[in-house]
Amino acid sequence: MIAIRDLSVAFGGVRALDRLSVDLNDNVVGIIGPNGAGKTTLLNVFSGFVRPHSGSIHAFGTDLLALAPHRRARWGLRRSFQTEQVVDDLTLADNLRAVLDGLPRRSRHDGARQIADALRYVGLADRAQAPGASLNAFERRMAELAKTLVGAPRVVLLDEPAAGLRDDEVDALRQAILGLHAHCGAMTLLIEHDVELISSTCTATVVLDFGELIAFGATAEVLQSERVKIAYLGVEPAR
Amino acid sequence: MYGVFFVTGLAMGALYALSGVGLVVLYRCTGVLNLAYGALGAAGAMLAWQLEQWAYPEPVAWAAALAVATLLSFVYGRFLAPRLAFREPVIKAVATLGFALVILGILNYFWVEAPRRLSLSTDDLGLRMLGVRITGTRVLVVMATLLMTLGITLFLNRTRIGLLMRALASQRDLASMLGVPVGRVEATAWLISGLLAGFTGLMFGDLVRPNPGALTFLVIPAMAAAVVGRLQSLSLTLAGGLVIGVAESMATLVHPIAAYRSATPFIVATLLLLWLQRKRRLTFSGQD
Amino acid sequence: MRDSLAGRLGDRRLLAGFALAIVAIAVVPPLLNSLWLRVMLSSVIFTIAATGTALLYARLGLVSLAQVALVGVGGWVTLRMWHATGLPFELNMLVAGAVSALVGMLVGLPALRMRGLYLAIITLMAAAGFQILVTGTQFPNGGSGWLGIAVNSIFMPRPRFGHSDEAMLRYASVVALLCFGLVAWARHSRPGRAWALIRKSEACAMAAGVNVALYKAWGFAIAGFLAGIAGALLAGTIGVLDATTFPASESILLFALTVVGGAYSALGQVLTGLLFRAAPALLNDWGVDGNLAYALFGIGLLHALITAPQGIAGQILDGLARLRRPRSER
Repeated sequence: MIAIRDLSVAFGGVRALDRLSVDLNDNVVGIIGPNGAGKTTLLNVFSGFVRPHSGSIHAFGTDLLALAPHRRARWGLRRSFQTEQVVDDLTLADNLRAVLDGLPRRSRHDGARQIADALRYVGLADRAQAPGASLNAFERRMAELAKTLVGAPRVVLLDEPAAGLRDDEVDALRQAILGLHAHCGAMTLLIEHDVELISSTCTATVVLDFGELIAFGATAEVLQSERVKIAYLGVEPAR
Repeated sequence: MYGVFFVTGLAMGALYALSGVGLVVLYRCTGVLNLAYGALGAAGAMLAWQLEQWAYPEPVAWAAALAVATLLSFVYGRFLAPRLAFREPVIKAVATLGFALVILGILNYFWVEAPRRLSLSTDDLGLRMLGVRITGTRVLVVMATLLMTLGITLFLNRTRIGLLMRALASQRDLASMLGVPVGRVEATAWLISGLLAGFTGLMFGDLVRPNPGALTFLVIPAMAAAVVGRLQSLSLTLAGGLVIGVAESMATLVHPIAAYRSATPFIVATLLLLWLQRKRRLTFSGQD
Repeated sequence: MRDSLAGRLGDRRLLAGFALAIVAIAVVPPLLNSLWLRVMLSSVIFTIAATGTALLYARLGLVSLAQVALVGVGGWVTLRMWHATGLPFELNMLVAGAVSALVGMLVGLPALRMRGLYLAIITLMAAAGFQILVTGTQFPNGGSGWLGIAVNSIFMPRPRFGHSDEAMLRYASVVALLCFGLVAWARHSRPGRAWALIRKSEACAMAAGVNVALYKAWGFAIAGFLAGIAGALLAGTIGVLDATTFPASESILLFALTVVGGAYSALGQVLTGLLFRAAPALLNDWGVDGNLAYALFGIGLLHALITAPQGIAGQILDGLARLRRPRSER
């Protein structure tokens, strides 16, 4: 359960987020909106890269904004990035281990098991010792996803994970997202432009435009909403 | 007593400031913090000294100093800097260190360490102010700094090419896409910066001493002044340079620390950086 | 990318390098005349210092222009410790390492959260500041009080296992191998992973829970520690130190040669030490002016930055890797 209240972010004169308030309860929540709507800014506030000048985020009872950015991972926040950030110099397994490093003490044996689990879940178990540089684009995306699964995640933020993937790859991604909550118990917030992916994985969806919340609710309804269509297509409402 | 040190400090500070201005103008336009700035000045000063030794008329020495520094600066800017155009600022700066090493090595080769004096005709002029005799060189330096800083500010704000330089400073990729002739504008910046380096080098050669190493490392107080200006504001750089120069000179009067007064630029820059980053939470490499 | 390749053929290459080093340590010293013993000793010492610079540059992308100044700090502490306490050299060396680590962290502190450019500026200023400081105060040589300056210098004796120049060369080389080991250990454990993440993207590192400022500071600490060890060995070799060994230009040169030699492998750091001390001596032998060496190194740095980022070592190792590939693939 994530409660966002009155979140406002301004960059100079631009209102990136304007008093955003919404309660998120579903296992997978979609975040959609035209370019510049504030989707990535919202994720950046979660991550701590951007400080809102007002508002709060309470996730599962914790005031997230009160935690230092690097401590949020310890709490259970995970994030994937638009430009995948798999480290070339490390092996895939080490990339995941780097995430585990920042977490509270866990036995080494368990760490290795978690990494193996996460890699098996995304279908990269046989690539564990491959250097990051040798992974192809799809493997990198799935590696980014695997990084979010280790160490008892509570909230997983995915920033356009399907961008540039083929249909069959998007399918694999879809399956992974659908099974995420069952696999590790985390809530997923998914930013995407691929509407099909959103409607097939997210039970609820947030729609942003110019930093404002213009719709929130069950995905099917939201996608049918007139207001959302106008925001995307810029069509004037019929008079 | 105080007067003498104040005047000396003011002159040195003016040179620090003017050097700083040269650094900042170049940095804003090209993203390169030219650590070879002092070496450029050193090349000019040594050449001027040598021409003086060979009894060439003084204007020739002046012209040669300015010309060689400008030329070296232009050559680097035209042929080497573009090869690093898309690297991080720190790499671009480190590359200029390479350039500085080349220049310094060559200068030291031709002009072995020995006591030398560079005297210019402005040394002989002088005026009395507040009971202190100020040489013409020092007056020239202070006036030149104020006028040139003002001139450059006007240039950046009022001329077309100044506008283009400011455009590059804020958004390089965008500017080039909008048709700003990046190469030409950058070349202008390197030329202006080189000219200033030549002038300040010549002046430093006169006021301090014409020694390649010493002149090359005067880039450090210049950098301190530029840091005070946040690598951005000419007026703050000017103020910073003057403060550093005067503080350094006046420290001669405070006996326990007098021997360490040349550390003043370092101390000022460090304190300022500590102050500047007090509110920061994190950085993203490549940005601020 | 090269490192992960190294990780694979790595163990074999590591073992080969280690074996080669052991053989060299055993065989080479008796072959050198007294001048060259000193030169190689100096090279090994500055290889250790360069390892610190290389760590910051290759692993964290940070430019430190103050490493030789930190070597000076290490030398200062070692001398002061010995004159004050008479404790065995090894202990003084470790204290020197610790103090230099601390100073290294302090120097980097102002620029920790700012652009890498500011770090380069700050370290350059620190190097210049150190030069001024040590020119004013001189190095400890047996006197009392904080500064420990006496009119008649007392030379610190060699460490127990380094009485002859040959022995000292071996001693320093073993210490160098231990230092390589320290860095390799750091790289393959938690700090190394954190550094790799930070190098890729500080935002990504933070999102993964890495305390970026802490690990950057830790990088400074290790680099400082290595400089301190080098300083101690320098003091231990000569017995007394002089301000003229530590001008700011030497720190700049060491950084330049770290890049030229190759910051990404131990071989690179060995090359750096040789370029820093052995090359000028060689040029001297051949009657070439040392200042031209400066100019050459400057060109080398420009070349390395523009076209060959992995340095000379990188090109050597590349060549070796190519040779090792089976004929059919070549």
